[in-house]
Formats: sequence, structure tokens, C-alpha cells
Amino acid sequence: MTHLTMQQLLDVREPASSPGSQSARQHLGTCHVCQDELERSHQRTAQLKALPTLQAPRDLWPEIRSQVVAHRRRRRAAWGGVGGLALAASIALFLVLGGRPVAAPEEESSRAIGTAMAQSQMLETALGRYRPEGRVTDGRTATVVAGLETRIAEVDRQLQVAGMMRQRVRDEALLSLWRQRVGLMDALVNVHLTRATNAGL
Amino acid sequence: MMTGVMSATLDDVSIQRAKSGDISALEDIYRAYEHMVYALARRICRAPEDAEDVLQETFLEVCRSIGTFRGTGHGSLTAWIKRIAASKALMRIRREKYRDTDELHEDTAPSRKGSDVALRMDLDAAINRLSDTARAVVWLHDVEGYTHGEIGAMMGKSVSFSKSQLARAHVRLRGWLGEEATA
Ligand SMILES: [Zn+2]
Repeated sequence: MTHLTMQQLLDVREPASSPGSQSARQHLGTCHVCQDELERSHQRTAQLKALPTLQAPRDLWPEIRSQVVAHRRRRRAAWGGVGGLALAASIALFLVLGGRPVAAPEEESSRAIGTAMAQSQMLETALGRYRPEGRVTDGRTATVVAGLETRIAEVDRQLQVAGMMRQRVRDEALLSLWRQRVGLMDALVNVHLTRATNAGL
Repeated sequence: MMTGVMSATLDDVSIQRAKSGDISALEDIYRAYEHMVYALARRICRAPEDAEDVLQETFLEVCRSIGTFRGTGHGSLTAWIKRIAASKALMRIRREKYRDTDELHEDTAPSRKGSDVALRMDLDAAINRLSDTARAVVWLHDVEGYTHGEIGAMMGKSVSFSKSQLARAHVRLRGWLGEEATA
């Protein structure tokens, strides 16, 4: 008689067994050797679960905390800086392109990117004046805000990546990302303003 | 392994506070889960330094992306954090490329050799002797309760890969623990 392999034995333990386990179960019903083996595998698992929990030797929170705080500050500073630049760049573009009757395709996309960046910056400024971090937030708003913040952070991350691409691809990617960012920023400002209106009633 | 040491104050309100970026609420989450995450990381990575790195990487990720956490209550937060920790630990063993010397042995059937019985080691030593992959699979499946599908997905491998790694791990442990052969 051929006994079950370890994998067949362990398969029998699975809640959703594979079709092959039907014949394995039949064998198991009549074979004491395999029954013993299955029981031993259960004991082994029970022993693994009973192993002591290993404890962290030191408190890592202070390090984690400072990294989290630094990350937030960097993000804010970077976008303050880049946002300011964006506005300056879009004004420069406007001045440069303003007098020309026809713009080349590259200039078109640069101008479009500049517009999206400027819009994003305007919304950022509006939000900055409103100072959301100094206000009390209810749980549902906090959830929506946190979700939008996370998506904005993800767009920001992708923008950094896109900045390293080749010119043509980069312009397309940048334009699409900046437009996404404007949409998200707009939603974020709306969430804050809606809450402010409701609170004011 | 679940430690069960959870702060009683970690309710839905503090989870919401953490989601809005409140740093002290984030610390509460760290305090509630540091033991669970470290224990998991230590079992998968073995080296204490690696487990500390995984603990840190896990909570940096938790702090940065808790806004994307969609569940409510302890249970789903535990599952969410545990999954991040498991992914970070698996990423680390992939990166470290420890020497998997015991991978050289073949083990399709339970070994009945006397030399294995003579080895006799305790379970702690035995699981540490497994290859990184086999140890991770046996821990995630048998102790943490992940399915082969989930383990395969986390490792970027197939369900059958996870199954065969688990079987391989059990065969080795069986031999190393000196369980009586039944011939
Ligand atoms: Zn049998």
C-alpha cells in the first residue's frame, strides 16, 4: 500500500480541499499509519502555535515618530516650494508665449502643465489660509480627508518619478498627473469648505 | 502569534483620530501592535536586527497610509497591520538572500532514516534551521492562519508553491524533531 505524501496529508487539513483529496480521505479512513502521521502534523502545528512570543528589545516609537513628522514637514515644504515655482513658471510661460500667434506642440503641453500646476497651487494656497489642521474634525470628514491626502501623496510620488522620464513621455505623464492633483485638491478644499459651512449653520 | 495585549482605549474613535494624522493616536496603535509585529517579523526573519527593521518599516507604512485603511474596529486593523508586517518581512528575506543550505536536500516523502532521529533538536532550533521561504510559509500558514492563496500572493508565487513549501517544512521538522518513524 502506498501511503500519503506529506502534501496529501496537509491538503486533507485544508478547509477547501482539492479534488484529489477525496481519494486521500478514503485511504486515510482505512490506514492507521497515515492517521498517525496526520495526528503528528496537527501536534506539530499546535507546538508551533505554543512557541513563546518574542519581544522587541527596545522601544522604536521615538525613531518612527521623528521620521513620520519629518516626512510630513518635507512633503509640505517641498510642495510649498515647488508650488511657488509652478506659479512663477506658469507666469513666465504666459509672458513668453503670450505674444506668439502659434505655439509648438511642446509649448502647448508645457503651457497646459503650467496651468494645471498654477490651479493646484491656488487650491493649495486657499487651503493653507483655511488652516484645516487647526480645526476640529468629525470622524467621517477625517476619513474622507485622509483618503484624499493619501491619494494626493501618491500623485506627488508619481510626479517625482515622472520628472525623471524622457521629455515627450514626461510631458504627457506630468500633464495627466497634475490634472489628477488639481481634481483631488479641489475635492479636498470642497470637503473642508462644506464642513465649515455646515458647522457655521 | 497573536499576543492579545491590546490597549483597551484603541477604539474606533482613536482609529479615526489616527487616520486624520493625530500622532498620539498613531502612538496608541504602535503600542497596541508592536509586540504582534515584532514577534511575526522575528519568526520570519530570525535575526533580531532584521525584525527591528521590519517593525520600523511596518509602522512607518502604517503611519503614512492609515488613511487608506477602510475597516472598522480591532479585528480588521489587526489584519491590515499584520499583512503589512508579513509583506515587509517577506520582502526582507527576499532581499537578504540568506544561504539556504538545507534547500539542497530532497524531501518528497517523510524521511525514515535513523540519522534524522539522532539529530533531535527543539522546535525553536528546528524552525530556525528551515530555509527562509519554508519557515515563512509554515509560520504564516500554521500559526498566523493565512491560506495558501494569500501566502502565494504575498510572495508573488503560486498556490502550489506555498503548498509544497509547507509540506517540505513539515517533512524537515518531523525529521529534526526526532518524531518516531512508523514503518
Ligand atoms: Zn497510509
